[in-house]
Order: sequence, then C-alpha cells, then structure tokens
Amino acid sequence: MAEPRLISNYLAELSAQLPAPIVIELADGLYQTHQRYLSEGLDPGAAAHAALAEFGEPQVVVAAFTRASPARRAARTLLATGPLAGACWAAVLITNHAWTWPVTARILPAAALITVVALLASAARSPYYRTTSRAVVTACLGLTTLDATVLTTTAVLAPALTWPVILAATASTARIAYTARALHAIQGPLTR
Amino acid sequence: MRAEELKGHLDGLLLAALEDGPRHGYAVIEALRQSTGGQLDLPTGTIYPALRRLEHAGLITGSWSLVAGRQRREYRLTAAGRRALSGKRADWHDFAAMISAALEAEPWPNPA
Repeated sequence: MAEPRLISNYLAELSAQLPAPIVIELADGLYQTHQRYLSEGLDPGAAAHAALAEFGEPQVVVAAFTRASPARRAARTLLATGPLAGACWAAVLITNHAWTWPVTARILPAAALITVVALLASAARSPYYRTTSRAVVTACLGLTTLDATVLTTTAVLAPALTWPVILAATASTARIAYTARALHAIQGPLTR
Repeated sequence: MRAEELKGHLDGLLLAALEDGPRHGYAVIEALRQSTGGQLDLPTGTIYPALRRLEHAGLITGSWSLVAGRQRREYRLTAAGRRALSGKRADWHDFAAMISAALEAEPWPNPA
C-alpha cells in the first residue's frame, strides 16, 4: 500500500539528515503506526496525522539520534580526555625547550589543535546528525595526523626517552587507537 | 508514576521489553506502552535512537529481516543485556525498599 504524501514528506525530511538504514527502520515503525490508526477506523489522512504526531517532529527525532550517535560520544570522550594528553605534551615541550624549535614545528600543530577542538566542541552540541558525524570524522583524522606528527617531531628533535615523552607518547598512541575505533563506529549506522 | 520519572528508567524498560524474546522497534514500543499503562509520554521516534544506543553498548543486537516486502530491524538481548537488566532490577528493588521504608516509617513522637 502506498504511503500517504504526509508520511513520504516526513521520511524525506529524515532522509536529508539520517543514514539510510535508520530511515528504513523508522519507515517500518511509522508504517505500522499508521496501520494501527487505520485499523482503529481513522481515514488514511487522519491516520497519517496521528502517526506523525505520535512519532514526533523530524527535528526532535534527528536530535535524539544525534545525541545517541557514536560521533557525539566520540566528540565528548575526546574533549574530556584532551586536557590529559595536552598536559603530557606540554610537559614534553617545556622540558625540551620547544620554544627553540622551528616555527613550523610549533605553529602548525597549534593551529591544527585549535581547529580540532573547535570541530569537536561544535559536534558535542549540534542537533544535526550529518553535521556532527562529518565534524567528528574530520576531527578524528586531524587528531590522528596531529598525534602522528608530534610523535615524529619529538622523535627527531627530542629523541631522549624521558618519562614525560613516554607518558605523552602513550597518551597519543592510545588516542590514535581510540579514534580508529570511533571512526569505525561512526561508519556503523551508515551500513547497518 | 510520572512520565518524567519513567524516562529516567528508559534503558531498563527497553531491556525488559526484550526479555521474553526478540522484537522489532514497533513491537518494543507497543510492549513499552502496555508495561507502563500508556504513561510513557515520549515521541515514539525517539525510542529508536535509544535502541541503537543500547545496541552500541552491546546490551542488545539488531538484525534485519524482510517482512511483507518491508525491511524490519529486530532486536534481541545479549548476555550483557540480561546482566544489565538484572542489575537494574536489583537497583530498583533496593531503591524502592529504601523509599518505602522511609515513607512508611512511624512519625516521631511530638515532644510538646
């Protein structure tokens, strides 16, 4: 049976924001809700209105999926643990007199870090699913590049294996592993 | 019980709805409606993300099937989900017993 235009429009609005498998699942639930109202004697239009009212406004549903999304969790985890990794690296930079390092070795990582933090902060609050996912994917890739860069730079410019270096390297390695898992989790809802 | 209080126990209610066997999203919502006497005043579209969140946490698993030409996602409890449900039940019984004891205690004698 064809869905009333009201329901098709509602699903189209969700499709613009949510991954296809999620919309397919919602479409099935909406179809069954519509059928229930039809079986209760409502005409198709009234049943569609009632089903949509029960489901909630599209932006409410999208915001709920965004709050529960792997991208939102990753953004919050990375923001919460960021200061710890940052403190470890600050200790390395101070003990190795990083202010004497080449300008590019200081400015570029700082600019990249500010961009990553801004992306994560926006993803931690945005009610939009796709915007949140894209921001966190970009931030994860940027953070991995940043961690790999500071690990390499330190190995070249401050090769001595001190406790601050060991702690910072461990923090960055753990973060690289976490971002890899987070990227995999963010791809999950796109495929299942 | 008020709807707001029910929302605070949504995860436990969803796990309980799957305790007797696998259910798809709409069936979970119907089970939830019956078990709460229709008191859970949530837009039903927001139950689905809660199911996805529980799935990501490893408490339930989801799988697709084809029913009457429509793709349908069915959820079932995992072993971790059963343990989580038992834990939530135990916590609730402890909490309810404590509140009951406090509310039903004899009033202190008036010194006047």
